[in-house]
Amino acid sequence: MSQSQVVGSSVPTGGGEPVLSVRALRKAYNVGRPDEKLAIDDVSFDVAKGEFVCVVGPSGAGKTTLLRCLSGLLQPTTGSVRFEGTPLTSVPDRLSVVFQDYSRSLFPWLSVNRNVAVPLRVAGVGKQQREARIAEVLAAVGLPDAGRSYPWQLSGGMQQRVAIARALAHQPDMLLMDEPFASVDAQTRFDLEDLILEVRRQFGITVVLVTHDIDEAVYLADRVVVLTGAPSRVAEIVDVPLGRPRNQLTTRASEEFARLRSHLMQLVTHH
Amino acid sequence: MAKTPSTAPPAGTDEGRTRSLDVPSTADPVVAAATTPSQQFSARSGRRAFAPVRKALTSIWRLWFFALVLVLWWVLSASSTNTFFPPLKDILTQLWDLWVLGDARSQLWSSLEHFAIGYTLAGVLGVVAGALLWKFARVGEAVSPVLYFVYVIPTAALLPAIMAIMGIGASMQITIIVLAAIWPTLLNTLDGMRATDPTKLDTAKALHMSGTRTVWTVVLPGAMPQIMAGLRHSLQISVIMMVVSELVASQSGIGFFILEAQQRFAITDMWTGIIVLALIGSVLTFLFILVERVVLAWYLGARAVEQKG
Amino acid sequence: MKVVDRRWFKIAARLLVIAAVLGLWQYVAVSGVLGDDAFPTMTGTLAQLGRELGGRDLWQAIWDTVRGWGVGLLIGCSAAIVVGTLLGLNRFAYLSVIPVIEFLKTVPVIAILPLAIVVWGASLEMKVFLVAFGVFWPLTIQVIYGVRAVDPVVRDTATTLRLRGLRRFTGVTLPSAAPFIATGLRVAAAVGLILAVIAELIGGAPGLGLSILTSVNAGPSRLPATYAFILVTGIAGVLVTSLFSYLERRLLHWHESQRNNASRAA
Repeated sequence: MSQSQVVGSSVPTGGGEPVLSVRALRKAYNVGRPDEKLAIDDVSFDVAKGEFVCVVGPSGAGKTTLLRCLSGLLQPTTGSVRFEGTPLTSVPDRLSVVFQDYSRSLFPWLSVNRNVAVPLRVAGVGKQQREARIAEVLAAVGLPDAGRSYPWQLSGGMQQRVAIARALAHQPDMLLMDEPFASVDAQTRFDLEDLILEVRRQFGITVVLVTHDIDEAVYLADRVVVLTGAPSRVAEIVDVPLGRPRNQLTTRASEEFARLRSHLMQLVTHH
Repeated sequence: MAKTPSTAPPAGTDEGRTRSLDVPSTADPVVAAATTPSQQFSARSGRRAFAPVRKALTSIWRLWFFALVLVLWWVLSASSTNTFFPPLKDILTQLWDLWVLGDARSQLWSSLEHFAIGYTLAGVLGVVAGALLWKFARVGEAVSPVLYFVYVIPTAALLPAIMAIMGIGASMQITIIVLAAIWPTLLNTLDGMRATDPTKLDTAKALHMSGTRTVWTVVLPGAMPQIMAGLRHSLQISVIMMVVSELVASQSGIGFFILEAQQRFAITDMWTGIIVLALIGSVLTFLFILVERVVLAWYLGARAVEQKG
Repeated sequence: MKVVDRRWFKIAARLLVIAAVLGLWQYVAVSGVLGDDAFPTMTGTLAQLGRELGGRDLWQAIWDTVRGWGVGLLIGCSAAIVVGTLLGLNRFAYLSVIPVIEFLKTVPVIAILPLAIVVWGASLEMKVFLVAFGVFWPLTIQVIYGVRAVDPVVRDTATTLRLRGLRRFTGVTLPSAAPFIATGLRVAAAVGLILAVIAELIGGAPGLGLSILTSVNAGPSRLPATYAFILVTGIAGVLVTSLFSYLERRLLHWHESQRNNASRAA
């Protein structure tokens, strides 16, 4: 009943043209110097349109490096990352990134409204449209009244909601998230997980989320890409055949969830 | 504060941020020295106030020692026959006559004019030069030894040389103010911009900001607390150099007034000059703090929250 | 790695800039842009500096400046550390005195110089007083905040360990305040040197500042000497700043702030 495949030269896709396509990605730091360090050895996978893919791996497994390569912030040493068919040279327009540390990724000198407005201003959206869009995304993340506040006046969970709203503002096709819920407490974490599932449903957006939390990966994802320890390779890509909508209580209590969880746990701890 | 992820690129990678000048950072420690306390102070006292009245009372109460010092000065000097320490009463009377009613006012304006021009130039040039050295990091690195040397020279030592070149006059005085006051602003701007949070730069890229927009929206505001600290330090230096230049070579200004009174042995007049100078220093600092509270409202607010939590 | 990021290239670039500055100096002097008599050549100045280094006057001036600076610094800093510590340990005293000290810190120290000059004349005492007075206020504030900045967790720990009195002070308070005091000392050293030079320049006390002034007044022929003295003053500034930064790093290597600096500089 195991649906997992070991990735070789042929890479399975979720059907149709992949939004994101990663091929033989390899990333080394300090190339050609004595302290050369290989962070990612060989990673390949595809993400189909509308899919929710989580990337998990043991700590120290180049997860953040991988995310930076996927977003175009970092150029791979060899291999390729294609977004909607085009190789990445910088962060593509149709892609948004949510970083783990909201306190550092939000601009504390701008109000929430103005933080969310940044990508819209960059895209040259007119004032009226901008305001409408800001109201829309803030409502979508459950903060309709927080616009005039400053980020630091909000709780951690609310700040991460603002960061998500900002990432959604210019209607991206895909959302890349780097351990987005790692800096908040457990209850807030559940709320934010459900929020991101809801947002994804509402906006029909593709999501790639990097996390070290196996439960979170299983709860959120359609597929989970499991990495080995550094230098990372793909240990296995695991399908998550849990139905949607998911529920923090019932989904997590299900037998299937437990099975997937222990399978992933084994993969992560054995590599 | 979140920990740096263990998977973050090791320091010194190809993609690493620009390595900085080795100019000793006036920045961190001095900023800490120059601004932190009073800012902490304001944040703290601001938070504690439940009722404005009570707050006002507390701050008045806190001034008791200040008042005591003044009263002691008044009482102890009242019957003073010491030439150097005339009665405070005489000094204040003279202060009123000379600086409020009398013609010493023109000295004040002359000084303040030089100060205003010099300080503005130093501030603007300092921020611009600091930003350019940040932008062209490799140039900044190459010029760092020279910059460092000019920075640590006690600028007053340059005064006679500049006098020899420029002669005596307003332009010489303004030049010396700029030469002395530009460094704290320049180096703090450079350091502040260099210390821009990498996550914020990543965010800027992820939000597809252009280079210019990144500077205006991310780098400059982020460096603002440190730039303000530099500007504050520059302010103090500007006032000092304003006076020094007048004391050494000038026909006008407060410094000239004090020097002239000293040479006439008009000690009471000299005291009034000293007090006016003291007041100028504090009033300018006070005005600066007011501006800072507006410009750095977000920063002070965020810090207050951080300290509470 | 690009060639511009290589170590030898960086060093070469720095040397090149220094050479360029010296060359520019020479060019400006020779071309007479700043007036023929107002600006000596670089080579003339360095030659003069060499001659001065062989004579007695320069060393006497250096000694005078260093002595005034050192004694003033010693007095001002000792007083500031004692007063600051005492004030910092008592909340009432601290709250009462802070407004006065904060006010006096904003007063330009130079304001007091004319008074010092009429009281002491062009003497070592005048210089020492100005330096001591100038470094006292800012350092006192640093010490007070340092003493008060003991981490609440550390303070609670000390209390649960029943540390009291002198042992608590030397074991907990002083180490916590050390980085504040060290920074304050470094700043005080630099400020003190500036004040010493100003006291010489304006008050006429013997030292580098006075030498600069008298050589300027002696006319164009002594101009190279003026710049030689200025260079020496600059080098004194470099030495003082480097020395105190070095001591700060050396003595506080255990402290978090220094560790962070070290990792940032690495």
